[in-house]
Amino acid sequence: MAREAPPALVEQEFILNALKEDIRLDGRGVDQFRPLNITFGEEYGHVKLQLGKTSLVVRISAEVTKPRDDRPFDGLFNIAMELSAMGSPAWENGRSTDYETHVTHVLDRVVRHSNALDTESLCILKGVSCWSIRADVHVLDYDGNLTDAACIAVMTGLQHFRRPDAVVRDGQVIVYGVEERVPVALNITHKPLSVSFCTFNEGHNILVDATRKEEQAAEGEMVIGINNGGEVCFVSKFSGASLDPISVVEKTDVALLKVKELNTQLDKVLQADLAKRAKLGMADESRAANDR
Amino acid sequence: MVGPTASLSNLHRADGSASYKCPVTGYDVLGAVNAPIELPARKDALKPEDATIEVFVKPGKATAGVGERYVERILRTMLEKVILGREKGLPRRGVVITLAAVGGEAAERGDSYITIIPALLHASLLALISAAVPLSMTFTTTLLGVTRSGQIIRDPSPAAAKAVASLHVLSFSSKGHLLLSESQGRFDFETWELVRQQAASICRAVATTGSDGDTDMGEGADGAHVDAFVRETVEDSLHRDYTWKLESA
Amino acid sequence: MTTPLILLPGDEVPSDYLPSSKSNPLKIGSGLRLLSQPSTKSKEPNHVLSATQAGILETDARRNTISLLSFPNRRYIPTTNDLIIAQVHHSSADFFHCMITPHTAQALLGQLSFEGATKKTRPMLKQGDIVYARVLSVGIGAGAEVELTCVNPATGKANPGGLGPLNGGMVFDLSTGMAARLLHASSSSADDDEPVDGLVVLSELGKKLEGFGGFELAVGRNGKVWVDCSNAEENAIKVTIAIGRCLQGTDEHNLNPADQKKLVTRTLRDMKLV
Repeated sequence: MAREAPPALVEQEFILNALKEDIRLDGRGVDQFRPLNITFGEEYGHVKLQLGKTSLVVRISAEVTKPRDDRPFDGLFNIAMELSAMGSPAWENGRSTDYETHVTHVLDRVVRHSNALDTESLCILKGVSCWSIRADVHVLDYDGNLTDAACIAVMTGLQHFRRPDAVVRDGQVIVYGVEERVPVALNITHKPLSVSFCTFNEGHNILVDATRKEEQAAEGEMVIGINNGGEVCFVSKFSGASLDPISVVEKTDVALLKVKELNTQLDKVLQADLAKRAKLGMADESRAANDR
Repeated sequence: MVGPTASLSNLHRADGSASYKCPVTGYDVLGAVNAPIELPARKDALKPEDATIEVFVKPGKATAGVGERYVERILRTMLEKVILGREKGLPRRGVVITLAAVGGEAAERGDSYITIIPALLHASLLALISAAVPLSMTFTTTLLGVTRSGQIIRDPSPAAAKAVASLHVLSFSSKGHLLLSESQGRFDFETWELVRQQAASICRAVATTGSDGDTDMGEGADGAHVDAFVRETVEDSLHRDYTWKLESA
Repeated sequence: MTTPLILLPGDEVPSDYLPSSKSNPLKIGSGLRLLSQPSTKSKEPNHVLSATQAGILETDARRNTISLLSFPNRRYIPTTNDLIIAQVHHSSADFFHCMITPHTAQALLGQLSFEGATKKTRPMLKQGDIVYARVLSVGIGAGAEVELTCVNPATGKANPGGLGPLNGGMVFDLSTGMAARLLHASSSSADDDEPVDGLVVLSELGKKLEGFGGFELAVGRNGKVWVDCSNAEENAIKVTIAIGRCLQGTDEHNLNPADQKKLVTRTLRDMKLV
């Protein structure tokens, strides 16, 4: 176990033959993502994402803690992803797989190491207390391209999340409840996302957002992490068949295009949710005023 | 009071799945069942005639710890009683139940873990039903708190659960057996007996006497009884999956 | 026909729902178990059955059978005489070891269990090849092995037709419930216009794709369907994908007959096949 069951030979051959005619099983173009659907839970930073049949939930949480001794000005930020048997019967509960390590690594590089979340802004009192932000990724259904889906969900969650306000007064840290002071958005410096490419037929076909069956038939995989400004923060090509360097350059342009598209969509759903909350908040306030 | 909501077969990859959300206690649990599947480590050596039940609880915003292991054990012991692990295709195979708290507030450090048990058990039951795992019967569970003044409250909210003198989780099978009783706090036997009576009346329509076991909808139809809620959820889901059959009939 | 009865695990089958035929012994299908049967000693004149799964009670008075239709997304459990599509995992001296559903024990398929197979003519199957096979036996008790065959032991022929290795084409995944429906629909009399089990998607595809030389289909109870349209030559891939998408769409969205027809029309138009 711990690995997906191998596909039948006919499936593999069929997918490759169809790609030679530029046809994907679900009728998508080579540079087309599956339909992306994002909804939010009641609390801030609770994101439910569906990318085709891949679906996951991300929950962001914050707590006050002590900064690391070597970085007294920095807050903490962690992404926790544990693949459970819920996402796929191939994954075993409580035992990590190479795949989990791989996806976690990409997430860590693209979101955390690119400093998308400004950790210095999480510092409350130098060397004494800071915010620790945690992103929990729960994979509910795995049907390919977990990396990009998780990346999108974590970035959306970080932008959606609001932490309680905290101030330092006379050397004392005061954390205000959500009712006392309007909670604060996190400081997002830029919005990088990952775009994974799968290669087929000796590099002749390169697809974005591969499904599970497509991933299994692929000969190689490449991941590019890039932000709206076209700054590449991550490129990986860990395994599989070799790839023409020109393709890497070409696909970076595709990745940029995709990230811009995705970020536009994210902005739209975030704005819509914010507007909805503002409306509800206003209704709550007027109700509270009436009660008074 | 706002009742719980639930739905079946929400996931694609798992063999069976269910979500259960209780607005009063604030828990939102998603359950997935894979069964029967091969277990890699041969954990079945002790009971070769039976299926091996595995329960895994994943907290929403933290790493799983002692609390999760504790409720997993309670769940597994109880579910082993109702899963028919000797039916066709199950012996020596695994029934893997994965539960994730995908919404609602998480229990904070030091909080009681037994408050989440009803949501976990209902999600497990519905997911097992959705995966068509053979069961000897269904069951329902409720959480009751006893305040310091002796008043019994049903489904206390996390804040209320902190203030009570004792907390009790009780499960009843569809045939009326008491399957689970977990308590926490200070209470005496008289209190527990009152709690048991109230829990029984919440979980199932007690008036279903008659030895034929016909759990007729009759008095439970108002939705106040948890067993009626479970039945309706399953029936709705079957109706949706078999529209082609039921509409032509 | 009485109204459909839905049972939950632990519910007893009301005695008036039991088929009343006395000529055949009562056959109990999946999802039910026998608690007691009529005998001269017990006062109970009927069988007492209890549900072990949730489902819709289905009885056949003529064949005197009773079973429970459970959720269609469940995992397939091998049952004797079912037709399935198995995937070869590896081969040993006497057997091909095959996978029926992912992450379950492998089933055994004799190297000589093919039509006209001898030591010299037996098919050389390799890992990843698929076969259309019948479940010969499932064994009894714990650790029992499932055995498959591609030949009818009585006749030595590959009947029902089509058993054996499946070459070319494509396999699509379906729910086990949908696979059972497709098999049931194809085994019933196909000539009358009344759709069987509310399925019109196949006959509609058959009509619309006649111009492409038709297609071959093998349905496995384990939730797999194999489609081959090599007759369609340069359009083979498009036709195959269209069929797969129509079947999966009907399955996933529980389409009614009218919507199945719409799906077929829309898919063929999308694939530029009309």
